[in-house]
Amino acid sequence: MNTLLGSFRKNRNLWITLIALLIVFVLAIRGLTDQEAVGGERYKNVVITILRGFSTGSIIFLVASGFSIIFGLMNVLNMAHGALFMIGAYVGWTVAVRPDTAVDAFTPIALLTGGFMLVPIWDRLLDKREWLSRSAHIWPWLGLILTLVVLVFTLPKYPITSWDVGSYEISPVNFAFAASQGILEVPEAEQFVGISPAIGLGGIILGGILAGITVAGFVINRRPATAGASEAEPFPWNSLIYCLALIALGLLVHFFNTSISNYLLSLDTTWLFILAILVAVLTGAALGILIETTMIRRLYETHFYVLMLTLGVNAIIIEIVRTIWGAPEFTMHRPSIFAGVGDGCPAESFAAMMEYKCATIRVLGGRVRTYNELFIPVLGIVVLIAVWILLQRTRLGMIVRAGVQDSEMVEALGINVQRVFTTVFALGVGLAALGGVIGAPSTGLTTTLGDSLLINMLVALSIGGLTSFPGAAAGGLIVGLLQQFIIKYGQIGINIPFMEEPFKPTPPLVPAMTVLLMVIILLVMPQGLFGRKE
Amino acid sequence: MEKSLPSPTTQNPFSAFIKNNRGVLITILCLLLLPFALALVDGQPISSVLANDPGQSKFYQGLAIEIFILAIFALSYDLLFGITGLLSFGHAMFFGVGAYLTGIMLKSFGWGILPILCLVFVAGVIMALLFSVVLPRVKGITFALVTLGLAQVFYIVIQSRELADYAGAEIGLQGVTPPDFLNPISQRLRVYYLGLVVLFLVYFFYKRFVDSPTGHVCVAIRENEDRATMLGFNTFYFKLVALIISAITAALAGAMHGLFSPIIRPGIASSHYTIAALLMVLMGGIGTLDGALIGAATFRLLSFWLEKWFGGASQVIIGLVYILLVLFLPYGIVGTWRSRQLQIKQGWSNLISRFTGKRESV
Repeated sequence: MNTLLGSFRKNRNLWITLIALLIVFVLAIRGLTDQEAVGGERYKNVVITILRGFSTGSIIFLVASGFSIIFGLMNVLNMAHGALFMIGAYVGWTVAVRPDTAVDAFTPIALLTGGFMLVPIWDRLLDKREWLSRSAHIWPWLGLILTLVVLVFTLPKYPITSWDVGSYEISPVNFAFAASQGILEVPEAEQFVGISPAIGLGGIILGGILAGITVAGFVINRRPATAGASEAEPFPWNSLIYCLALIALGLLVHFFNTSISNYLLSLDTTWLFILAILVAVLTGAALGILIETTMIRRLYETHFYVLMLTLGVNAIIIEIVRTIWGAPEFTMHRPSIFAGVGDGCPAESFAAMMEYKCATIRVLGGRVRTYNELFIPVLGIVVLIAVWILLQRTRLGMIVRAGVQDSEMVEALGINVQRVFTTVFALGVGLAALGGVIGAPSTGLTTTLGDSLLINMLVALSIGGLTSFPGAAAGGLIVGLLQQFIIKYGQIGINIPFMEEPFKPTPPLVPAMTVLLMVIILLVMPQGLFGRKE
Repeated sequence: MEKSLPSPTTQNPFSAFIKNNRGVLITILCLLLLPFALALVDGQPISSVLANDPGQSKFYQGLAIEIFILAIFALSYDLLFGITGLLSFGHAMFFGVGAYLTGIMLKSFGWGILPILCLVFVAGVIMALLFSVVLPRVKGITFALVTLGLAQVFYIVIQSRELADYAGAEIGLQGVTPPDFLNPISQRLRVYYLGLVVLFLVYFFYKRFVDSPTGHVCVAIRENEDRATMLGFNTFYFKLVALIISAITAALAGAMHGLFSPIIRPGIASSHYTIAALLMVLMGGIGTLDGALIGAATFRLLSFWLEKWFGGASQVIIGLVYILLVLFLPYGIVGTWRSRQLQIKQGWSNLISRFTGKRESV
């Protein structure tokens, strides 16, 4: 009892805010209960709205958690996080709806990455070479031009069977529509045209290797003359192994392209969906590593410029997505275990849902969509627990928590903070991509997806506390619940005393209320609900 | 280039003003002559420029007016962010309020220009006060997020169906007819000169403000707010002054936009527009008022030509410019010029001496 009182005194503002939020929540629930209905059906609307709030909140949390860990550890406000979330959604859609395109695109990407993996080896071999250092300021640029020439001539020639944004018959919108009807049809695979396959593949590998040499050249030039790749370190053989493995994998996929595509197409959509999640998360993590190592690493000291930089990355990603997938909105089908509508549906019980793979389940007389309102929240909780364990129980988590407190001190203790930064950035972006692919079937895919989510996420994090992991979860949940309650009230109206008509909140009020809540909470507690005090 | 030190007895304020602002005054002179110079290049008689006949000159006047408006907007952002150090992501709201108020008052209520301008001023002050509610409590990135949120609400509200009669929902506000003496089509030359005058009035006012004691305190707040507080300044009031001036200026730019452009799109109130202002300031050089002008001109011309050459891909290139700018030219055009002035002069004289064989001393 004493400790409780003490905690209350210490965090008075927090407790008062939480109690006020709870009172608002209870009032909102009271308003939604249907007084005329009997028994459990009275709470039909409440349950559905809360589940929807959990669903929205889970997506926000998935993105916000990565963002907040990155911000806490590296002080990088990654404004491209929303765009990377969107990339996750679009890549996941591609794997789920057009697996053949994903297989086609794998080969050039693997070949390029394989060549790129050789950077540490070139770094070791070319550093401190007399004949190179004389032209040190020229040859990386020559390498860059050569790389571009090779890639411009070979990369567009590689046959990727894809869609055409311009013509309706083979537009993403049409493929998405067909997939939602349960038809996964793909056009015939294209072949190399006007160039022999050996030259095409060899050119891409060469381009990757040249890009690696170029990057190594720039790295060597930027390094101070006294420091160098230490001779004591073992020769980076493992990067050579990665390179060969990636190139072999890429070539293997190229030669068995058709059979792999056909196998994927014959798979059940649930397996394809799991594959889509995996590919999207890996793509996100790889993009994170790329952005971190090439751009953000150079600007750690100047936080404002990192912000600007990520804004630029955001604009580029949105434009690339618009070029590849087109501006019109399209949908992603749900995996088959959440899409059944035939007999036995809507399911009466949980067991029946599993048996008939129903799209909806009957709860208290109302229909609940199994994917949107059950699967997404469950996944959100699973990720919450997984990241919590990662942060609390592993060595990496320990370093991250220490780094959030004081990253200079961690560096002074002899820990390679650079590598931890890269890992955490990849993890955060991977989580965002996971959110994207999970959210895609419920939200649909548009090029404005990233922006609207970014705003929601920033509001959620401001409410919960910018660098706090529990804050990300609480903020996401509060924003999600608030939004869904207002949408529900928009349908049924609020009975305000002394007014004839019930007041119906209009759609613009949804973001307005979340922002209002954010402003109020920040006025009471400038560091957010669970943020650290300055 | 030798500078004779002016002796205090012979210096009068007017000649000192001209001496200190030589570059700006030359720019103003060039801009004054620009419509006629363009007409001469295009082979158009001067009389047709005065009569506002269509042609290359008239087209580029329109582009220049857009640059003037953007430059005022960028100046106001530079005062807030570059001078006072308040990072705001909601600056486009001020611009949007100015533009939409002007449009709605002209179209739906038929007000005159002067009352509208007064209203826009008042609205700017009110908006600044709204932002300032959170000013004493939150700092740095949280302030940016709060302003982003507030501006986002405004952006959504002006697009809502309920206001469609006034603000035109997603399409934007169309059919605003500015008064005859300011019609951007029939009186473009006059609008051009008016825009030029307003721009440089704002510019000189800002220069004076930054040189004033208040402006110095604003710079001190940017450099180290705790120290400014310790010196005995109530930093809140100084930040509020900077915010109000900046808001009024941005609203004024918005009002000019509302008068000039045929459609007032909701995009001008979105966060992208704030980011565009940020890009302009960054291009020109943060905290150097000249930089805002140069940045606005560079940004508008760059996006104009990029759109002409690359069409839809221009956004990618602008994003790339953003990244390259941050990585390689973080102080912007003016900032880099100022820090490297001596080196650049040395480089030029070296280059010239290679051709002439003479070595000039700098």
